[in-house]
Amino acid sequence: MSYFSDSLAGAFQLISSFDAAIYEIAFTSVSISLIAAIAAACLAIPAGIAMALNSFPGKNFLQHILNTLMAMPTVVIGLLLYGLFSRLGPLGHFELLYTPTAIIIAEALLIFPIMTNLTITAVTSADPRLLPTLISLGAKPIPLAIQVAKQTRFAILAAIITGFGRAIGEVGAAMMLGGNIEGFTRTMTTAIALETSKGEFETGLALGFLLLIIAFLVNFILSWLQR
Amino acid sequence: MTTAAYQLHNIKVHYDKRCVLDIAELSLQQNQCVALLGDNGAGKSTLLNLLAFTDRANEGEILLAGQQISGTLSTKQRQSIGYVSQHPLLLKGSVTDNLMLALKLQGIEPKRHKSLAQAALQLVHLEHLAQQSTSTLSGGELKRVAIARAMVYQPDILLLDEPFSHLDQYHYQQLESIIQQLSKQNKTILFSTHNRLRGLALADSSINLVNGKVTSTPLLNLFHGDLLNHTFNTGRLQIHTISDIANAHNIAIDPNEIIISKQPLDSSMRNCFSGRLTLIAEEIDSIRLTVDCGEIFHALISPESLAQLGLSLGNTVYLSFKSTATKVF
Repeated sequence: MSYFSDSLAGAFQLISSFDAAIYEIAFTSVSISLIAAIAAACLAIPAGIAMALNSFPGKNFLQHILNTLMAMPTVVIGLLLYGLFSRLGPLGHFELLYTPTAIIIAEALLIFPIMTNLTITAVTSADPRLLPTLISLGAKPIPLAIQVAKQTRFAILAAIITGFGRAIGEVGAAMMLGGNIEGFTRTMTTAIALETSKGEFETGLALGFLLLIIAFLVNFILSWLQR
Repeated sequence: MTTAAYQLHNIKVHYDKRCVLDIAELSLQQNQCVALLGDNGAGKSTLLNLLAFTDRANEGEILLAGQQISGTLSTKQRQSIGYVSQHPLLLKGSVTDNLMLALKLQGIEPKRHKSLAQAALQLVHLEHLAQQSTSTLSGGELKRVAIARAMVYQPDILLLDEPFSHLDQYHYQQLESIIQQLSKQNKTILFSTHNRLRGLALADSSINLVNGKVTSTPLLNLFHGDLLNHTFNTGRLQIHTISDIANAHNIAIDPNEIIISKQPLDSSMRNCFSGRLTLIAEEIDSIRLTVDCGEIFHALISPESLAQLGLSLGNTVYLSFKSTATKVF
């Protein structure tokens, strides 16, 4: 018990003393996840709105695929991209392996189906009068999609934040594709795994608490925006 | 010859394999105020959704101002239709935001936005609520804002789905006067209502829907005139009534409340007129008799009663009804 409480005290000491190494890891982690979330959102939101508003052959099948991808283990995405980005892989000449870009691509791919599905849910669960109202007011397809996005913006924002949360908590792909290089690709989750394996429990706990604080702040901002 | 605002041919709409609308032919003339009458579930909203092109029929074709609509409407065609649904949805923001959005979506040039929005709010007497949030509007205000939003781009056709539902008497009359005002501006107006009496009093003509089908059965026994001391004077007849409503100019008699006899009845009924039987028509489960007493009356009787009375066209018959069977409005 004293080992746990000592580690806890040490963790708070690291956080409150603004330990440079800890905050550098946190900054890397947040920036990689944020870029991944923005990149995925740029594709997932239009795709989700388009899927929700239109009927087309194979729509149900596509939704099943998206649902399956939501449950895809992160190490599988890591493994597939590792094969693509390694020197002998088809995208090896881009030299992306062990770079933040590789982690961003992996995280964006990981959260794209989540954001798309949540956007579809946001649009389909909007007020059923919304679409007929906008159509009767003369909305053409693109203005219609923009208005639908505006009217369902809080639910779509929740989709983005859920995706961000999934990205920042991801460890498998970040470890495989980033390589956990200090000051470059070391994220909070890969650092926690490393520090714990080294027996540096308090550093791991400090990073864990920072992760929780970031998650809390993100949810707080969402609640504030929804008011 | 003017082109009809709408022409419908062989329209069928199915929900879950159930046919909810089946219209062989229907034409809606321009510059007319038409009441779409029918009970709940008769297909009024379905028809209005088709005419607003927010929904599509499973079969048949609709011509808008003589042009067949197969795909999406052109900007000009979309601008010609204003639609207010039964429970209109106003988007978040102010009343003006909603009007501006309609103008923007319709592609109206921005320099006209302000003046058009003001004109639309004047039409519904809501200039003072221009900046008010739509979430704080009362039911009556909400409906009027929805009408203003549908009229802000000045369409030629206005479709109103149950505009009078859930309105108190004051807002009801206010809305009636707005519709009358628009009717005078040569707009084509189609409004649905299940209040047959008031609907017909307001409209130039009516479309009657029963179980998704257009029927020729009109609203029966509606007369216009003046009420004085419980007597309604149509100009041709004086009808006794129990009502004493100020500014009432319409009276209607339920055709089921009219007693038809071959001899004058010695009864407590205060209204008794003689007339010539001009029509015997079969309705759903009943027989409709048309009797010319100076005013044309319609009465519904059972097929057995018709056989028992042995009536034929041209017969003189007596028509009696209680003063309580009248509705004055």
